[in-house]
Amino acid sequence: MTDASMSPESVAPKSGLATIDARTRKRNAAEKRFRLYGMAAIGVGLLFLVFLFSSILRSGLPAFTQTVLDIEFVLTSEQFDTAESKMMKTGEYQNIFVAALQEQLEASGLEVAFDAKAIERIVGKPGGTIRSFFLENPDRIGTPVSFELAASSRVDGYLNGRVTRDTIVDSRFLMTTDLDLVDALRDAGIIHGAFTWNFITGTDSGVDNPGGAGLGASVIGSFFMMLVVLFLSLPIGVAASIYLEEFAPKNRWTDLIEVNISNLAAVPSIVFGILGLAVFIQFAGMPQSAPLVGGLVLTLMTLPTIIISTRASLAAVPPSIRDAALGVGASKMQSVFHHVLPLAMPGILTGTIIGLAQALGETAPLLLIGMVGFVAREYPEGFISGFTDANSAMPAQIYTWASRADPGFYEKAWGGIIILLLFLITMNAIAVVLRRRFERRW
Amino acid sequence: MPFSWLVLIIFAIAAAGYVLGRKRALNSASGDSRNLHSLPSYYGAHAAMWAIVPATAVLLVWMLAQPFFVNARVLASLPDTVVTEGSSIGLVMSDIRRVADGLDEAVLQGAMTRAEAASLDTDTTDVRDVLGSVGVALGSAVNADVLSGAQLYRALNGTATTLMSWLVVLIALGGAAYGYSKSHADFRARNTVERGILALLIFAASIAILTTIGILFALLFNTIEFFKLYPARDFFFGTNWAPSFSGRGGASDLGVLPLLWGTFYISLIALLVAVPIGLFSAIYLSEYAGPRVRGIAKPLIEILAGIPTIVYGLFALLTVGPLLVSMFGKDTLGWMQGGTAVITAGLVMGIMLIPFVSSLSDDIINAVPQSLRDGSYGLGATQSETIRQVILPAALPGIVGAILLAASRAIGETMIVVLGAGAAARLSMNPFDAMTTITAKIVSQLTGDADFASPEALVAFALGMTLFVLTLGLNIFALYIVRKYREQYD
Amino acid sequence: MNDMRIVERDVETNKVKIAARNVQVYYGTTHAIKDVSVEIEDKTVTAFIGPSGCGKSTFLRCINRMNDTIDVCRVTGDILIDDYDIYDPKVDPVQLRAKVGMVFQKPNPFPKSIYDNVAYGPRIHGLAKNKADLDDIVEKSLRRGAIWDEVKDRLQSPGTGLSGGQQQRLCIARAVATEPEVLLMDEPCSALDPIATAQVEELIDELRTNYSVVIVTHSMQQAARVSQKTAFFHLGNLVEYGETGTIFTNPVDPRTESYITGRIG
Repeated sequence: MTDASMSPESVAPKSGLATIDARTRKRNAAEKRFRLYGMAAIGVGLLFLVFLFSSILRSGLPAFTQTVLDIEFVLTSEQFDTAESKMMKTGEYQNIFVAALQEQLEASGLEVAFDAKAIERIVGKPGGTIRSFFLENPDRIGTPVSFELAASSRVDGYLNGRVTRDTIVDSRFLMTTDLDLVDALRDAGIIHGAFTWNFITGTDSGVDNPGGAGLGASVIGSFFMMLVVLFLSLPIGVAASIYLEEFAPKNRWTDLIEVNISNLAAVPSIVFGILGLAVFIQFAGMPQSAPLVGGLVLTLMTLPTIIISTRASLAAVPPSIRDAALGVGASKMQSVFHHVLPLAMPGILTGTIIGLAQALGETAPLLLIGMVGFVAREYPEGFISGFTDANSAMPAQIYTWASRADPGFYEKAWGGIIILLLFLITMNAIAVVLRRRFERRW
Repeated sequence: MPFSWLVLIIFAIAAAGYVLGRKRALNSASGDSRNLHSLPSYYGAHAAMWAIVPATAVLLVWMLAQPFFVNARVLASLPDTVVTEGSSIGLVMSDIRRVADGLDEAVLQGAMTRAEAASLDTDTTDVRDVLGSVGVALGSAVNADVLSGAQLYRALNGTATTLMSWLVVLIALGGAAYGYSKSHADFRARNTVERGILALLIFAASIAILTTIGILFALLFNTIEFFKLYPARDFFFGTNWAPSFSGRGGASDLGVLPLLWGTFYISLIALLVAVPIGLFSAIYLSEYAGPRVRGIAKPLIEILAGIPTIVYGLFALLTVGPLLVSMFGKDTLGWMQGGTAVITAGLVMGIMLIPFVSSLSDDIINAVPQSLRDGSYGLGATQSETIRQVILPAALPGIVGAILLAASRAIGETMIVVLGAGAAARLSMNPFDAMTTITAKIVSQLTGDADFASPEALVAFALGMTLFVLTLGLNIFALYIVRKYREQYD
Repeated sequence: MNDMRIVERDVETNKVKIAARNVQVYYGTTHAIKDVSVEIEDKTVTAFIGPSGCGKSTFLRCINRMNDTIDVCRVTGDILIDDYDIYDPKVDPVQLRAKVGMVFQKPNPFPKSIYDNVAYGPRIHGLAKNKADLDDIVEKSLRRGAIWDEVKDRLQSPGTGLSGGQQQRLCIARAVATEPEVLLMDEPCSALDPIATAQVEELIDELRTNYSVVIVTHSMQQAARVSQKTAFFHLGNLVEYGETGTIFTNPVDPRTESYITGRIG
């Protein structure tokens, strides 16, 4: 059955175990190299992550601050009466303001020349703001009032380093000579950066005013969309999962459904956008760019994710629980709804939150249903109109800002990303905490 | 009546049915609920179910069917002359709808009464102006046929809606009555209610199929419309993409090949970045890394997967693009013209795909049984030899499947290419050129100014169809490969 | 094949191949192998027997340092093969395992062709000068594994396509392809049917002409059939070691007798 043992000479000479021969050394070197490749790959991946986040923070944090001008002056009642009697009321207030600023500057020892036009370029035309303040608060006339006025976005950019003396192009928005004045104002402490709530709570502004743009309206739009997604996809997803997991017989129909679900999970998001456009907007005539339509499209996108995770949670409940319920005479449906479902709830909620987080960041479908180029200027008025009034959503707003090709808007887009990521981090953190606290290990 | 009122009425009838049905059942058992077959609430639920379900079904079907009927009637009433040169019946119908909506808006705002709207005449009023004054903008003057079509449209819709409301309310009442009549002690309410709930569950599960049907319907219908206006041959084999901006037809070149090329090129670069990094990360994490390193590195890499693609898009446009230009642009090597290029989008897309490839490969490598590793170590192989010569070949079908799925994901990606790759449709080998993809063009064609019935807009649906077929095909192919070549370890 | 009359077996004394002295093995805090010293002879089949969990497989895996792959495992004491301490830091386990082959409980052929399964070891250790050489090694190993005649016409077909017994013989052929001097077998027949078991046992008897074979088995009858020396392990201790015949007919330690008569285990 076996051959005789072979002659020793044909075998490679064996060295003692203590000496590592050359070939083994080469193989060990190859092993070390291979290991290094693995570590390098992870290192590169993490490096990308760090690079991405540092870009986001560096570019986006300035969006939360705005350069403001502090000024305090007294409006005498004579000035008030004179101004109100003129035809060009706000122009008069503008002049008063410029004079007051001049006084303040001279008082602080500044020696830079400027004129009213320069002031206008730097701080805009606050005449109207000043006027409405005094109209609303007539009791403040004659007393010192301090105003904090927003500087123009070009000045903002200069102080941020986005616009430098080398790169500035003289325009009606900012001239090189103004920069001296800005420097002087800054040195005197009159101009400084301040945290602005307007970015977070305000609404979008027109293409000319990047400084005034705010994300608030789109946050509301996203909120309404997420409400739609939550209240539609959670019940439908859970219902579908219960059927597929507990009741479905193994036949071709259920096979077809399961194949469909796994295919839908892999369909690109833009195809869902086309679906939304064709079916919801064109066929059913729903309002364009409405959170309701966006919510419907995102529901369809999130359903496969929720179904897959819900099925996993349901399957994790041990059969002994079902058997126990049936054993005391509960019907199948009662055992599912009274016993299995409550036990699977933590997993279902975790999966839903993660699905919602994914839906929150989706942009492509929203562009197709009309949210691109839409300037979200106003908050919706009521609860129902929150769904049906045209609005934007956070990712779509970020895209709109990014496509305006104005560096001032780029900064806002980065800031919007910070807010969006904060929402996502919060939601994912809640999901993780939920999972840790309530998950049972059977 | 408004839709929301109708829904509320149905619910009110159902609630009444619940209360009454429950009461009747209890009465029939002389007030003792133990004599009932099912819990009292089931009898109430039974009646409520009969109120809601048939009524809602009829409501949904009617609402889906109503537009078809109304459109057909309006279409039939139009003379043939209404379709002018350079237009189509679809465009005319959308005009009619717009005018009808405008009339609705005018009545709503009080600019005219309902009777006035119905009797409006193009000879006596400039409809366009009137509608303009209430905020409804129309592209051109309204001709008489369109106006009468719009008025017929409004009239038909009005009657149909009223009919529907009455019908639905009647059905709800009838259903509630039927359910009520069945409420007595011997009736097995729970079984019927549970059967109803099961039907609801089945319906929920079928929504997945409805969604697929919806997608196919949306794509097919409009693609066919597109191919009526633009020859399919030129679409599939044309090498030039240059849609005309004049709107209706005209000299547009709508060939898909440059877009396909851009899509594939960018996806290729993305895979070249993602596959080595992702695969090696997975190998290191599953074979070499200790539990502490794994516990830190794996979630960190997963973070890359959770970042929305708009963030990556902006990253490509504003950070990576300028960075690459500073390295390869006109000041240094002169290869790159602008920040938006294939290599920018490809690189960023690769970063996005790293965790995708990594976690799929991780699962596959872990699925290779330990006995194979033991056998290899027992023969004196080093860890890297074992991985290279035993584990990876065994895991190969799964890894190929993962790469195909990643490719499918790359092909379907939109935001990164919209922001990072540019809008120029080009057939070029140079990765530093700007090239656009199918997805980017879908966005630009559907969000531009083109009229919805024009070929420039409809081409987006043809593109969508192409994309859908491509990604579906890749996914199915990936599944097939995994299934066919999967090792049977037992 | 060994005669069933174990008392009259020819006892040959061979040189010591593996010497273990005061070996302790810890899995974390669990003391799995307690102070084991044993001398295993060359050209002999030595059987490790004992109830499950007694440590025989653990000790076996120490001999080719397979326990190194387990992080929480710690080995102290000396194990010498041919008077070289295999736990010396200068020794590379990779080279050691070419010299000490292992066959596992469940046949684990690689999902490659039969040829590639056997050729894997020689390839990575660089034992063949060229393709013809490699072909020779493969044929020789398959003959040693008593499976050549059954597979010589289908060397390119996958190794996983063979029956259980054939797979195990393939694994044995694979193990001998690297020209080891020691062959470790961890319950090689426990996953096989009786006919395959008989084939493998016959093969083991032939292998001892060239190798020192250590076989872990939970079947006393198999140990009695196949081995010349037997070591009885119990709860991590080496209780008794001696000639197979003596162990099974005249054990010294009462624990050995309890195990053999079936009172424990």
